[in-house]
Amino acid sequence: MALPRDNQRPVPRIVAVSPDDGSAIDLRNPALAAILSWAVPGLGHLYQGRVFKGRLFMGAILGVFLAGMWLGGGRVVYASWKPGDTRWAFVCQAGAGLVAMPAVVQSLALHGAARQPLFASPFMAPPLVAGQYVSRAYADRLDASDPDIDADDFFDRPPLKQFRGEQVSRWQRRLGRWFDIGTLYTMLAGMLNVLVVYDAWAGPLGTPTDEDRKARSGSP
Amino acid sequence: MFAELTATFACPVLLAALADQVPGIFFGLPLVALASLVFAATHHEDPAEIRFATIHWAVWLGGILGLVLAGVLLLGRFA
Repeated sequence: MALPRDNQRPVPRIVAVSPDDGSAIDLRNPALAAILSWAVPGLGHLYQGRVFKGRLFMGAILGVFLAGMWLGGGRVVYASWKPGDTRWAFVCQAGAGLVAMPAVVQSLALHGAARQPLFASPFMAPPLVAGQYVSRAYADRLDASDPDIDADDFFDRPPLKQFRGEQVSRWQRRLGRWFDIGTLYTMLAGMLNVLVVYDAWAGPLGTPTDEDRKARSGSP
Repeated sequence: MFAELTATFACPVLLAALADQVPGIFFGLPLVALASLVFAATHHEDPAEIRFATIHWAVWLGGILGLVLAGVLLLGRFA
């Protein structure tokens, strides 16, 4: 039952104080803004109407994340929890939001019943380890598209194929320092997005001091 | 000149060859810039204040990292 108009109260707004001029910043729904900011850096700020910062964060963080992926030959963002190849860097990379999430999907798919990433695509798929079973379609796809892998790298184990060798060491040998630089770029983008999420959740980190308030009000 | 530049940046192979000539240390500069920008923008709302604080953070961050690098290089030379 709807409340009578007289009983309706104004919805309280959650605001933060700008450290620059002391003005109020309407945070709207802070939880939703934080989730949006994690999903797409800057999107939470756009939702709150903080357009300048939203565009700034979106361009800077997504730009550096994508630059890192490009520098690392598209191999540096993957999720892997296998013994011997635990990808701790992904914990930081996941902070960049949805742009890193295909890695989780690909990892789950590769270790699932199908034994291959989605659409047998190597995009953000974790590297194969020695003795790992994969579908024939994925083995054929790697043979055709990956310069580090050829048909001799697989044992035939119908209906699957078994990989021999360590794919990640081949990536590192071919890419050299670019693997590390790309990893660093994507990690830093993810870690800095945590600050962006906090800014969307609670407003600017800098709070005005008493001296700032006195200086603005003109009182001694 | 412009056509050559355009061709260079449009071709990933040429761009990768160009990047290979750049010492690895310079690839840290965009990261210092990004960290400074995000630090500044999460502490301020006003665009002018963000610009000023970005330079402030970049000088501090670059200075500290430069000192660390100088220390490491000195240790490497005399150790």
